[in-house]
Amino acid sequence: MITIDKLCYNSKLRYENAGEKFAFAVITLCICVMSRSISVACIVLAATGILTVYKGGIPASRYIKYLTAPLAFLLLSTIAIMFQVSRTPLDLFAIPVGGWYITSSTDSFHYAVQLILTALGAVSCLYFLSFTTPMPDILEVLRKLHVPALMIELMLLIYRFIFVLLHVASSISISQDCRLGNKDYKTALKSFGMLGSVLMVRAVGRSNRLYDAMEARCYDGRIRVLSESRPPKKKVICWIAAFDTVLFLFAVWRRWLI
Amino acid sequence: MTDETILKAEDLFYSYDDNQTYALNGLSLEIGKGQKVAFMGANGSGKSTFFLCCVGICRPQKGKLYVGGREVNYDKKGLLDLRSKVGIVFQDPDNQLFSASVYQEISFGILNLGVPEEEAKKEVEAVIDYLEITPFRHRPTHALSGGQKKQVSIADILVMHPDIIILDEPAAALDPKHTTMVNHIVDQMTENGITVLMATHDVNYAYEWADEVLLFHEGKILTSGTPEQVFADHEALRHTNLEPPVVLELFQRLTEKGILEASLPVPKNLRALEDAIAAVRWQK
Repeated sequence: MITIDKLCYNSKLRYENAGEKFAFAVITLCICVMSRSISVACIVLAATGILTVYKGGIPASRYIKYLTAPLAFLLLSTIAIMFQVSRTPLDLFAIPVGGWYITSSTDSFHYAVQLILTALGAVSCLYFLSFTTPMPDILEVLRKLHVPALMIELMLLIYRFIFVLLHVASSISISQDCRLGNKDYKTALKSFGMLGSVLMVRAVGRSNRLYDAMEARCYDGRIRVLSESRPPKKKVICWIAAFDTVLFLFAVWRRWLI
Repeated sequence: MTDETILKAEDLFYSYDDNQTYALNGLSLEIGKGQKVAFMGANGSGKSTFFLCCVGICRPQKGKLYVGGREVNYDKKGLLDLRSKVGIVFQDPDNQLFSASVYQEISFGILNLGVPEEEAKKEVEAVIDYLEITPFRHRPTHALSGGQKKQVSIADILVMHPDIIILDEPAAALDPKHTTMVNHIVDQMTENGITVLMATHDVNYAYEWADEVLLFHEGKILTSGTPEQVFADHEALRHTNLEPPVVLELFQRLTEKGILEASLPVPKNLRALEDAIAAVRWQK
């Protein structure tokens, strides 16, 4: 997660208008999920891949590594769809085990592949967003979409505090290491437990002090901040609209007209 | 420098634990407008608690606090008024920065003052430029160095244009480069007529910089006055575990040995002392 955050601040697409990126990611994701088609999913994977890696400048190896993370989950969860245990062999293949068969049909295999690719396509859309758009920019888009202010403020503070607490946790863990806090399994468990409880105490302390500091700057329960919005570019909007329209028509054609 | 009093405390008491122990124990002080005041004293002597009282975070249980000649009023409007006049830069920037975006962070305070967005934008840009934040303004706050975080946390307050700025150990954990930078910013604040209250443990800096030094001890002022007066009081310094400034001590030793005339003006810094010594050689 921290790596994604670092990479996204260095992305070449970072200074594009956040609304454009958000719209592209969300619309493409919806089309991809609704279409349930292998070809649409492949197009989406290719498009977001090219944008994130080639246009955004994220190293390809990193991107592929991140894409394979959900792949493991997907493969595990589609095992049940792909393989069946039955007394009669199905058309794709059948491995006899005693009087039973571990078997699969072409249809269910096709269905599993389609499920995996659709899910991967959807994930790649979200990766595109998170690899190119820093969190404060995404929050700004959500604000414009009239998401409740309370939720946005919570996300803003949580996002900031993830890093503050992570820093505290890593310093505590280093200092535990220095005093042989992880010398064997038993001590390591104990140290980890202590780290958890100290972190909790620190988090409460920090949040109190942060609240004081905000109060000192006239905080009245509403976080008002300026945003640095970058004007949307007509050309980019046209490209997004064109791509998503074509993709949508293609998806409709694949799903209902064939 | 005028004689007008901008901040006055009368017999303040504050306790964090229901009157078992007092963090402020009958504190009284008076600070003139445009002054540079150094707050010194051991950890836990009440400096930070007093600062929190100044921005209305802690409300003293007894005693009166006057800012700008008026008694502090703790209702909503009074607090808003107080906090628009007094700004505080906390010691640890991580306790102050709440947003991951530098720009959002700085804009928070000024928008809370009710300044219209257009004007706020200009002010924020101006302070970013003034404090040389531009090179890292697009980096997330969690990726900034300690010194850069400090710059942002000072910008947070400067953008609100307070009359009084409180700096709680601004040079703590900073490298020499950023310490110099912060000191420079502080000097500019004074030039702009802002009253600066600074907690510090650096006697040499306080001696050279401050107009007035306040020595805190157990929630009270042990002694106060010009740096020359306060740092000559060895009894008080010993009480608060402080060493006298090097320049002052050296000057005193040299006068005791008869190398320098005791009637000379007390040198403020090493350079002045050097000049005084050089002058002796020329006389001979």
